[in-house]
Amino acid sequence: MKIIRLLTAVSFLGFVSGTRAAELNLFAWSEYVPQTVIDGFTKETKIKVNYETFASGEEMLAKMLAGGASYDLVQPPDYIAEVLIRNKLLTPIDAKKLPNLKNVAPEFLGMPHDPEQKFTVPFMIGTVGIVVNTDVVKEPIRGYKDVFQPKFKNRIVVVNDNRELVSWVLVTLGLDQNDITPANLAKVKPVLAEWIKLVKVFDSDSPKTALLSGEVDLGVVWSGEAARLYEEDKKFAYILPEEGAHPFVDVMAIPANAENVDAAHKFLDYILRPEVSKLISDEFPYTNPNLEARKLLSEEQLENPASYPKIENYDTFRDIGKAATLIDQLVTDLKSAQ
Amino acid sequence: MLRGVAMKQPHASRRTPFHGMRALDWSLRTWTAGVFGFLYLPILVLVVYSFNESRLNVVWQGFTTKWYAQLWSNAPLMKALKNSLVIAGVTTVVSVVVGTTGAWLLHRYRFRGSRAIQTLVGIPMMMPEIIMGISLLVLFSTIGMRLGFTTVIIAHVTFCFPFVLVAVQARLAGLDPALEEAALDLGATPLKAFWLVVVPYLRPAIVSGALMAFTLSMDEVIVTYFTTSPGSATLPLRIFGMAKVGLNPMLNALSAVFVLFTIAFVLFSAHLKRISR
Amino acid sequence: MSQSGVSQAGRRPGVAGWLMLAPMLVWLAAFVVVPMAILAIYSFCERDELGRVVFSFSTDSYVRVFSPVYLGIFARSIGYAALTTAICIVLGFPVAWVIARASEAWRARLLLLVMIPFWTSFLIRTYAWLTILKSDGLLSALLQHIRIVGAPLELLYTPTAVVIGLVYAYLPFMILPIYASAEKLDVALIEAAHDLGCGPLRTFREVIVPLTKPGIYAGVLLVFVPAIGMFAITDLMGGARVPMIGNVIQNQFFQARDWPFGAALGVVFTLMFVVSYWILQRRSAAA
Repeated sequence: MKIIRLLTAVSFLGFVSGTRAAELNLFAWSEYVPQTVIDGFTKETKIKVNYETFASGEEMLAKMLAGGASYDLVQPPDYIAEVLIRNKLLTPIDAKKLPNLKNVAPEFLGMPHDPEQKFTVPFMIGTVGIVVNTDVVKEPIRGYKDVFQPKFKNRIVVVNDNRELVSWVLVTLGLDQNDITPANLAKVKPVLAEWIKLVKVFDSDSPKTALLSGEVDLGVVWSGEAARLYEEDKKFAYILPEEGAHPFVDVMAIPANAENVDAAHKFLDYILRPEVSKLISDEFPYTNPNLEARKLLSEEQLENPASYPKIENYDTFRDIGKAATLIDQLVTDLKSAQ
Repeated sequence: MLRGVAMKQPHASRRTPFHGMRALDWSLRTWTAGVFGFLYLPILVLVVYSFNESRLNVVWQGFTTKWYAQLWSNAPLMKALKNSLVIAGVTTVVSVVVGTTGAWLLHRYRFRGSRAIQTLVGIPMMMPEIIMGISLLVLFSTIGMRLGFTTVIIAHVTFCFPFVLVAVQARLAGLDPALEEAALDLGATPLKAFWLVVVPYLRPAIVSGALMAFTLSMDEVIVTYFTTSPGSATLPLRIFGMAKVGLNPMLNALSAVFVLFTIAFVLFSAHLKRISR
Repeated sequence: MSQSGVSQAGRRPGVAGWLMLAPMLVWLAAFVVVPMAILAIYSFCERDELGRVVFSFSTDSYVRVFSPVYLGIFARSIGYAALTTAICIVLGFPVAWVIARASEAWRARLLLLVMIPFWTSFLIRTYAWLTILKSDGLLSALLQHIRIVGAPLELLYTPTAVVIGLVYAYLPFMILPIYASAEKLDVALIEAAHDLGCGPLRTFREVIVPLTKPGIYAGVLLVFVPAIGMFAITDLMGGARVPMIGNVIQNQFFQARDWPFGAALGVVFTLMFVVSYWILQRRSAAA
């Protein structure tokens, strides 16, 4: 009798824990993970995905640091991943559980933010570059110096990212984009002051709007924006500045306090499948690091100059810690002075 | 009976009775029409662009109704709309209750420290949303409260009820004390006097406050971002996230449907007489 | 027991009074005072490389706040808010008046109609404005057509566009409180003024305005105060060329990752409000 009761209890427990649906708490960019991908994952694994969104890497970090929410997967940009790793806020990823990791192009593995390739998986690569409305601007534009000329005053759009702005001036002056020191910033100041006066719109969310509406003729924007512009109208050319351009890598990572680590690994492997990765590329014309997925893309997608530019220099942004304050102060100062 | 005494106005005196003011009256109405035109101009453009062929919706590219069709099948967007309405609804009710009673108590009684209370009430109105969002999140996580509908509603009520309170206070400034006196003289309890005399008098202010609270809640992003969970994500939050991809005309369609539906309701509903009395 | 002859307002609260106010007080304590305390604590902290607070005492953040750049930014935000408020009063008062004078059914309808545009998404509405105000947009085309301007109008991404956007966003919050105040205004008073020989202007100045003052003050409070911290409109319609205090504070928690400085800015901003409001309350109580 007792044994039967015990067996019943054990099997009941097994039944309950076995059928309790696993969940995955995903914290990612809005619209960066298409609904089709999520639905496909849930259908196959029966894992429910709670997709919480943010609109920028900094927002993600702010909410993570301020709140107690425990996420299983987050999607930081490279320099934020770097500082998360350094502060031991990420769990190592078990590469054995990710057979599809081999699809990723080798140049995007072992990058400076995660040299041992232990904590992150690259999601999408992008660049920041020059987009030109060639219907209006007929002359060749090769770099920042060509963009920030007095003749283009009030016809320029740039991303509203203080660090980006400063980095462009740094590379133009031949300095290291990650070397943020008071001395370097003093050199940046006069150049940036002149450049800021020429800009009509600062917009990180949708710089394509100003270009499409014809309010500006050229600008320095995210490659995804430029790719969408190109898809809309091929008159929008994309050029990586000759002074130096940097790629940025948006990665997926597992926070240290994640509860559903197994589900997280399943999801990571799932999106590394070529056919799934292709779905992501269909929605987001960024550079897909997944070589197998690239084979499934259309001619049109691959020939978009903003989606697959020739990246020659792989220097990404590194975390600059407290120096971010210096940059913020400088740009606020210069913008205010107008 | 008391309500009638307090509220009844001679019928004719609602309209301006004399000549010289007629020209002024006419120009005021024209001005008002102009302002309404100003208020609805972007709405008109928004509706027109909901038929825009272009997905990026910046330049007009041709006419189509496909976005309306897509709208119905977009489950996450509909869920977000539902969440927004629920949150705004609850927020409005709670804000009206807290704001109205607060304003009345501050008016009726001379509390020690009422100036401090008044100032505290004003603070959520000025507080930048980022600060309110982060500080509330830190608070919630310190006390171990899980994020979700409750936390969002708490946050929304906090910055909405001051608007109700301020609107009601302004109306209370003109409340004739003789009204409440009369009620008490006739044997009503203070509570009954409040309910039957004061509240009807306050109705225009309560309605104004409720409208403001609802609107503020429906369109709030940053505080909501910090206090929400995926299940309670609101519509403006989703829309802000879509800015990068391009604000597709489907969003215009959603707004257009919502607006046209509410306008139709407003213009053709006979029940509206009751709230304005 | 009859209370005739004694004004009901301004009595001493008993236990009952305090008990009834308690819910609101508890709410304020929990969700306004406590977060502000958290903020104040943060403002005296230092930051680590992540941007988080490190609990070591420092007044560096406050020293930074009181530098010309940030004081100038405060001033600019206040300036825009003041201009917006003034325009809202001019545009909104007649509307509130007309609604208050309307028939019962129409009053409610008009009020709702004032608000309905703001039940659409802020972003979509603002993008609609971009379409209207751009160089080849509706406004420019119209003005060129009727020959007020000769060339495409460069209105977008200028301070004018920002003011248009701000006025648009806050107009209902001026109209509604003034309406609530004007609604009870007995036209018999206006008749009386006319009977006594006042022209429309004098009636307005000496009868209407004083009686709707509470509504106007409420409107000013509900527009001016929130408008100071508003920056989304400056960003979207002004091209984010000039920083407002809202931008700067937001930046500290996002891009600059300097929470203590953001907190310090927030505390100073709050103190500015508290002090001004305190003084204003004193003045109006004395009046």
